Amino acid sequence: MIAENKNVHEGKVIVVSGPVVDVLYDGTYMPKIHEKLIVKIEQGRYVPLETFSHVRSGVARCIALRATDGMSRGMPVYASGEPIKVPVGESVLGRVMNVLGEPIDKKGEIVGAKQLSIHRKAPEFFEQAPSAHMLETGIKVIDLMAPYARGGKIGLFGGAGVGKTVLIMELIRNVAHEHNGYSVFTGVGERSREGYEMIRDMTDSGVLDKTALVFGQMNEPPGSRMRVALTGLTVAEYFRDEMNKDVLLFIDNIYRFVQAGSEVSAMLGRMPGAVGYQPTLATEMGALQERITTTKSGSITSIQAVYVPADDLTDPAPAAIFAHLDATTVLSRKVVEQGIYPAVNPLESDSRILEPRIVGEAHYRTARNVQAALQRYAELQDIIAILGMEELREEDKSIVYRARKMQRFFSQPMFVASVYTGMEGRYVPVKTTVECFDEIWKGNADRYPESAFYMVGDLDEVKEKAKGL
Amino acid sequence: MNKEEISRIEERVRKKLNAVQLDCAAMPAGRVRFSGDGVIKIDGLRNAKYGELLDVGGVAQAIVLGLNENDVDAIVLSEEDKASAGMIVKATGRIVEVPVGKKLLGRVVNPLGVPIDGLGQIKGALRRPIEAAAPEIVDRGKVDAPLQTGILAIDAMVPIGRGQRELIIGDRRTGKTSVAVDAILNQKGKDVLCVYVAVGQKASSVAAILHTLREYGAMDYTVIVCSTAKDSAPLQYIAPYSGCAIAEEFMYAGKDVLIVYDDLSKHAVAYRAMSLLLKRPPGREAYPGDVFYLHSRLLERAAKLSEEKGGGSITALPIVETMAGDISAYVPTNIISITDGQIYLESDLFHAGIRPAVNVGLSVSRVGSSAQIAGMKKVSGKLRLDLSQYRELAVFAQFGSDLDGNTVARLEQGKRTTETLKQDIHATLAVEKQIVLLYVTMKELLKDVPVEKIVAFNAEFLTYLELHYPDILQSIRETGDISMDIGITIEDAVTECKKTFGKE
Repeated sequence: MIAENKNVHEGKVIVVSGPVVDVLYDGTYMPKIHEKLIVKIEQGRYVPLETFSHVRSGVARCIALRATDGMSRGMPVYASGEPIKVPVGESVLGRVMNVLGEPIDKKGEIVGAKQLSIHRKAPEFFEQAPSAHMLETGIKVIDLMAPYARGGKIGLFGGAGVGKTVLIMELIRNVAHEHNGYSVFTGVGERSREGYEMIRDMTDSGVLDKTALVFGQMNEPPGSRMRVALTGLTVAEYFRDEMNKDVLLFIDNIYRFVQAGSEVSAMLGRMPGAVGYQPTLATEMGALQERITTTKSGSITSIQAVYVPADDLTDPAPAAIFAHLDATTVLSRKVVEQGIYPAVNPLESDSRILEPRIVGEAHYRTARNVQAALQRYAELQDIIAILGMEELREEDKSIVYRARKMQRFFSQPMFVASVYTGMEGRYVPVKTTVECFDEIWKGNADRYPESAFYMVGDLDEVKEKAKGL
Repeated sequence: MNKEEISRIEERVRKKLNAVQLDCAAMPAGRVRFSGDGVIKIDGLRNAKYGELLDVGGVAQAIVLGLNENDVDAIVLSEEDKASAGMIVKATGRIVEVPVGKKLLGRVVNPLGVPIDGLGQIKGALRRPIEAAAPEIVDRGKVDAPLQTGILAIDAMVPIGRGQRELIIGDRRTGKTSVAVDAILNQKGKDVLCVYVAVGQKASSVAAILHTLREYGAMDYTVIVCSTAKDSAPLQYIAPYSGCAIAEEFMYAGKDVLIVYDDLSKHAVAYRAMSLLLKRPPGREAYPGDVFYLHSRLLERAAKLSEEKGGGSITALPIVETMAGDISAYVPTNIISITDGQIYLESDLFHAGIRPAVNVGLSVSRVGSSAQIAGMKKVSGKLRLDLSQYRELAVFAQFGSDLDGNTVARLEQGKRTTETLKQDIHATLAVEKQIVLLYVTMKELLKDVPVEKIVAFNAEFLTYLELHYPDILQSIRETGDISMDIGITIEDAVTECKKTFGKE
């Protein structure tokens, strides 16, 4: 913390409007945009600010990274002369930090770490290294319908309570455990309880040692939530650029970054954009997402949960995120209602790498066949509702029965959800997934009842379960 | 008095006067310049702190919500006509606090902690600021003890743990408040303290709840924080925070607390009114951008503390009202994304006689199942998934051609399960009885009892058990588990009971 000595430029608070604070300097000094300032509320209680704009000569408008309760006009503000810097490198592995890079795990100071500014430039065009390899997740519906790319950007879209966090935890379990590089987990504006459980699970399973965790959860003011994604990203970038590692970056939840920005936008004096969001929504998102990329020095595979406000995928925030992703997994409430978990909507999810050149001919063909069958079933549903099953042609009837089996076969017990479901999780290799769905599509599994396909791993298990029914 | 003496006195007075620092900018008082719609603008008050409580002319209180270069914005907590232009405003140096502690049990207070139940002043109680930081991540503990609501459908399928936040959501008149009130009633003798927070409710509804709680002896361990529809928007806005402060006092003393916020949709509306009056720009559905933070910072304060911090907990049951069953509206989805699960009550089910009207497919609990007792886990494990599959199958089967045997059996079983889960209000069931009923259902022992008689049979069976096999209930209660022997005895008891059922 900055001492109150004479060499530090001192300004004073003149306006406090929620999380936004205006600071007046005497004219000889003006803090740079993104510079960190510190307000002393009382002995031992400081509020860090980040300079956002210069509103007029001598007045800087800043965002507070902690609650401004108790702040009053005239309080002294100290300039740090630099942007927010956070520790990076191997000494942050196994540690939990907040937005300012301060440890919050009660394991003492983070020592010997290099400090980097959280505001950095995206890699140049010539440094980009697009990837074309599939990352197996062991989750049937994802591997088959929307396979993830190694070094790619993946979005998990879903409204409230459809299981984004459970799915991201399962992915951490399946992918991070097998992964040889480092992982960075960034909790942005999500539940503190989940943060607690994440730390506990990672400690138990032993992945904590090669993971860095950064949290700015929903109990924190918007300033903290809108900057914490950058803190996590900075840690990941250092691993990629300086240590040439392949990094897994999990962000739960990137929507909260936009949301925090919109909470302060009006107070910063900006006009509101569509649906009340900040006018800078697209550029803010672009600046962040372009930093998450795979370069010639190393790769970042990022898995980002995206909250869909009011279940509306056309909301400006999720719409702005879609464009940046290589693969999208859409979770939907309609699937939840059927009791199918993970509640992935196979018709809305897709991936850039689902092409024969990358995933292979068999995988590609099977995925497209399954898609066509599900699509046909969706179309037939209205006809069934009016005329009944009897009126369908034999061919359509068999499509309906097979599609319903496929829907159920997309469900899968998850390791991290075993306490809720009472079922041990299943990891299904992509090769098995493709074969099983091909069999169902061909009609080789027609003799098993529908319920045998629910919550199982592969077709052998279906056969086993069918015996018991 | 001689001249010398006079000049000496004069000198001393001058010295004293000079010692007085006159700094107008630091004046701790101000004057109301604008007052309207519960918002006031104050000149002066250089020292006012953000969030500080102000005294307006000795007749009203206000909270600072904006410090501008030349004036201060504040919201009036009392009736808005009390604050008028020209009044002197003093800073109190405090932020808003409420009385807390055991003295509040059994009482009804307003959001400022002033009793409104006519039972006299609350004297000598501790005080706590209404806004506080949520427990840190490292100060939290694992949610591992169940909070029994006494409602079978909920305890079995969407179990709630101590320290969990579970949303109760549904249209008006679907029994949301009843679920919460039943949960409070069921805490009797379980060493859980309760706080019921009414936000913008009809005064008569709150009075009815008070009456019910008194009737069942639940006020001994309950505090009601009441803001009614007649209260100003700022007063409704602070009500949940006040209630939470009261709950926190108990939690930090190592107690388990249950808090009900009834309801947060009205809270959001009150905050929207306030925000718009403060000229903050509207976003989706005209709510301000920070309506998420409004609820997230409140609900994050409900937590289970680690053993080092005393191991207390706050379990929160916020209530949200939906319009025409639309749970994907803005405020409901915001709150769903904060809580650890939701109980969705549906009016179609309610009218079809399935009460509590829990929609199984859309109700979830993300943490409670790890807190269930062993016996409950055994009998309820797959109930929720089976039941939601049944509902989907039932819809598909109505277009259906000839159904195969397996499907028919699943439909029949689904109907019986649905019947078993029906329960009247204020008729909470002890956990051992819940386990017995679920065991009977799981083992499909009632195939030969007609669907419409299931409810009657279950009631008679429980009475039969109490009379003839009291040790079974006792054993489940004490061990928290159901052994194979007990299972067999229950099966025998069902057979015996069927013989006499409907004979008298």
